Amino acid sequence: MMHPSHRVGIEIDADEITETEEEDDDDGEEEVVKQPVTSRKQQHTHKPPTASKDEEDSSEEDAKFKHRNNRRRPRVQNGIRKNNTDHEDDESEEENKETAKNSRTKTKKNHEVEESDDDSELGENRKRTKKPVHNNNRNNRANTNKKLKDEQNKKQKQANNKGNKKGKMSNGKDKKKKKGKPSSSSSDSSDSDDSLSEDELAKVLEEVEEKKKLIAILRTKAWRMKRKLVTLKESQAFIEKFEGALGKGKGRKFYAYKVMMMKKWIKFKRDFENFKTSCIPWEMKIKEIESHFGSSVASYFIFLRWLYGMNLVLFSLTFGLVVIPEVLMGLQYGSIPRKTVPRKEQPTAMDFSVLWEFGGYMKYSALFYGYYNNERMIGVFKYRLPLAYFMVGVGSFGYSLMVVIRTMTRNARESGVDGDDGDFNFSWKMFTSWDYLIGNPETADNKFASITTSFKESIVDEEENQKDENVHLRRFLIVSANFLIFCCLAGSGYLIFYVVKKSQKYSALETLSWYQKNEIDIVMALLGMFVPPLFETIATLENYHPRIALKWQLWRMFALFLGNLYTFLLALIDQVNTQLAEEESIKNKTLAVINSFNSTNSTSEGIPAIDPADFPRGPCWETGVGLEFTKLTISDILVTYGSILVGDFLNALFVRFFNYCWCWDLEYGFPSYTEFDISGNVLGLIFNQGMIWMGTFYSPGLIGINILRLLTSMYFQCWAVMCCNVPQSRVFKASGSNNFYMSLLLLILFLSLLPVVYTIMTFTPSFDCGPFSGKTKMFDVIMETIQYDFPAFIGKLFGYASNPGLILPGILLMVLAIYYLNATSKTYEAANLELKKKMQMLRDEQKNRRNNKNTVNPMLQDLEDLLPNNANVTKSELDKVVIEKQPAITNGVTKANGKYGKEMTLAPPPLKMVVTKPPNPRQASHLPGKQRSGTPGQGPRRPPPGQPKR
Amino acid sequence: MGSRASSLLREEEIEEIKKETGFSHSQITRLYSRFTSLDKGENGTLCREDFQRIPELAINPLGDRIINAFFPESEDQVNFRGFMRTLAHFRPIEDSDKSKDPLVPEPLNSRNNKLLFAFRLYDLDKDDKISREELLQVLRMMVGVNISEEQLGSIADRTIQEADQNGDLSISFTEFQKVLEKVDVEQKMSIRFLH
Repeated sequence: MMHPSHRVGIEIDADEITETEEEDDDDGEEEVVKQPVTSRKQQHTHKPPTASKDEEDSSEEDAKFKHRNNRRRPRVQNGIRKNNTDHEDDESEEENKETAKNSRTKTKKNHEVEESDDDSELGENRKRTKKPVHNNNRNNRANTNKKLKDEQNKKQKQANNKGNKKGKMSNGKDKKKKKGKPSSSSSDSSDSDDSLSEDELAKVLEEVEEKKKLIAILRTKAWRMKRKLVTLKESQAFIEKFEGALGKGKGRKFYAYKVMMMKKWIKFKRDFENFKTSCIPWEMKIKEIESHFGSSVASYFIFLRWLYGMNLVLFSLTFGLVVIPEVLMGLQYGSIPRKTVPRKEQPTAMDFSVLWEFGGYMKYSALFYGYYNNERMIGVFKYRLPLAYFMVGVGSFGYSLMVVIRTMTRNARESGVDGDDGDFNFSWKMFTSWDYLIGNPETADNKFASITTSFKESIVDEEENQKDENVHLRRFLIVSANFLIFCCLAGSGYLIFYVVKKSQKYSALETLSWYQKNEIDIVMALLGMFVPPLFETIATLENYHPRIALKWQLWRMFALFLGNLYTFLLALIDQVNTQLAEEESIKNKTLAVINSFNSTNSTSEGIPAIDPADFPRGPCWETGVGLEFTKLTISDILVTYGSILVGDFLNALFVRFFNYCWCWDLEYGFPSYTEFDISGNVLGLIFNQGMIWMGTFYSPGLIGINILRLLTSMYFQCWAVMCCNVPQSRVFKASGSNNFYMSLLLLILFLSLLPVVYTIMTFTPSFDCGPFSGKTKMFDVIMETIQYDFPAFIGKLFGYASNPGLILPGILLMVLAIYYLNATSKTYEAANLELKKKMQMLRDEQKNRRNNKNTVNPMLQDLEDLLPNNANVTKSELDKVVIEKQPAITNGVTKANGKYGKEMTLAPPPLKMVVTKPPNPRQASHLPGKQRSGTPGQGPRRPPPGQPKR
Repeated sequence: MGSRASSLLREEEIEEIKKETGFSHSQITRLYSRFTSLDKGENGTLCREDFQRIPELAINPLGDRIINAFFPESEDQVNFRGFMRTLAHFRPIEDSDKSKDPLVPEPLNSRNNKLLFAFRLYDLDKDDKISREELLQVLRMMVGVNISEEQLGSIADRTIQEADQNGDLSISFTEFQKVLEKVDVEQKMSIRFLH
């Protein structure tokens, strides 16, 4: 939806606002100045219009004076009467008031509002104590006062119209000064109660005067003490509050300032909110997609955006702390063997085909593990690069874990708070979905699409809620579908296993055919291509809600892809093991050379006896692993983009343009346009992220490639979706949070964490490449740092902390904590559910009661019928009901079960609640009509507990 | 602008409008200038075409209904008084508007009147009930042909069923109020008129 909040705002004339807002600058100001300037002009025409500073002050005083003048006359008049009334008791006061009022009603008819105020006052004495404004004096005064004011207003306006320009010209400074105060009166924010227009100002002014006077005479009133006190306090508070607004008393300037700042602050906050929204990257794109394809497709893009954000952080960590320091401060390319392309590779090192495979210069660059030197500190800052490398590698895992889990908890909390108020779901959509401020046809199109989509989503949800056909058949179908899918999974698993076994056998052979070399890849590709659609086909048996079906589909494909991952890792570990063995043999040979190199190097100042390119070197298994992951990522990108181009774009082109000259309807027939494959795309993204996590440690450049990939795929896929896909036939509402994707991601994160940690902990790093060369284990770098750079006791502490005796209890404690927290959350969840149930019950009961009252309860009905007034209404109503039901019934009967059954899908389920009232005869007579629409409110409409909404 | 507009507007008229609608003097003059700029025929009244020129109304699926709301029964001209009376529904609710007295008729911009305005947009035949047919019409306007007629019917049924409390298979105003109970109508059906 474009605007998630249900909007009822009815904008008659948005131009109005924009137009007037534009004018606000000059016009508003003009009006703002209007009153003070003109009032000044009225009274002090002898003064020149150019106001100096002191005149400004005097004009302020003038205004005050004027107000007082205004008041003075009525006050004198009232004074006489007041003296009379003050010494009398309440009754006579009221009497007096009544007479006064009567006289007033004759003369004045346009003060109706005030009059009725007084009426209510008569009725309730108590109210008067609360609002002492409505006093006797006021009525009398109001006559004259109001008249005066009206006259004055009129005069002002006339003067204003004529001499507006002059007044405006008068003085810029003056204007600015004055603006402070009236900005409170001529405000632009509608909802603030500080905004006072001119007449409101006058009204408040009057009231303040009233209160002041009241305070003055309170002592003489013949009231009870308590009442006096209360009145006094209220009046004082009122004066305190409003005097500032009216330019009287000391608080005026401060008040004006405060109000102005408040307005500015509110406006700023609003602007800032807008700014924040516009800062969310791709928000518009995603919203547009959501409006056309539904929230489920949008959820993929939101996930993609989230991943991009996370990768950006990982990227800045890796590049900022590892790659850039090494490039800037480390040794130059070609200075040592690990940073040089070997002699026999040099002729082809710049060939595109080699670079494309990340060989040649790419392989011996900062993109890969092998390039980094094992020098403890580099550069002038004594930057500890190996330590940084290790910490960044571990830290990016830690950060990813933290972020994923934090996002999951936040999503879970939000979805818990959200409280799906499905009470008036359709009604709200119907009455409040259009955004009346839309003036742009394109936006309007999007809004149309989004309303349609949201309706479709709700329909699917509703249909699902109502669905309870043959339970046994359903169960049978679900079980058989699961069995079939299990068979598929097992079959493909065995196939992978078999192929891997075979390939291990091949490795013993010398010459391999192309097929033998690529057998695993081919099998995997075929499996990935054909099994997911097979799953989807089988899943139609289950007939789940598409949201749940998507989850199942994701899990099943996940299991399938795990096989992919497993073979890949297995092959890698094999490769590493062979390389490790190879390394051993080279190591001895090279060590001798290194020694001689070092000795010659140290003696003959920087002139190496052997060129670094000629230096014998080991295979450097870490770089090999990094290379594999990088190649895999690149090929994954290519396959993804290629499939979008061919599968979606070309297909769409073909369908679109060959439809003119084809034997059958291509658009609705066989090829048709493709739907957006949510499950495949999401899983692709997740597995890709797993590759990145696994590969980053051995190839810091990989994360940069991934950043580029996510960025391009955001734009590319957005375009592809809008350009060549059609919305799903059953658009469904994605769960509010992306928690399902997140949990898959977490699983993958864990799975990719394992091999990396395993290699770090068990394998010996290569002796001649990488930041950890020369150490027996990679994590030795930590020990080294503790030993050399920290005081001794920290090393001791570390030793204690790593004692199994401490670690085991720690783990135990954590397990206990998890258990406890889990138990509490379960309890809360149950309580929550219970409360929801109760609320629903309450609502239903209420509805039932109303129903009973209106149509069912015969006794009451009869009684009501006796009343002549009511009889007509209820009769006609009843008739209408019957008439309205009639066609529906016939409709239902004639169309048998086909359409009838469909229509029923949206009706509420049959009675599920405990029936608290016996059935009434009236209800029975209405039964056919009711059956069609379902007895409103009797069946709880919340989804069955077995099907959680998210 | 102010002077031009108000010169055509008599003071008494302004006073009356002020009383009736609660707009301030300057707001009235402002809106009057707006009124005259909309009035292409320059005869002091607006016709339907004048409204349809406003883009927001032109593309609004309910635009015609809203325009209709401006026109009194069986007339196709609206003068400034009528214009202002309709606009008054959208005046934001201020504290001073809250009447302390039940006897005074509610101001035009009260919550109830705002809701009533919205209700009438849906109640075509003015029988104070939104029937299934009326809902269907609105639905057709809002979603066009993208959803099958059958489904539209079930949406309408479902909406009525949600809102209907007395079982007459239509939505009365009180039921309408009940449905929108939690919607911040006061805020959302308000336009910031400049003072």
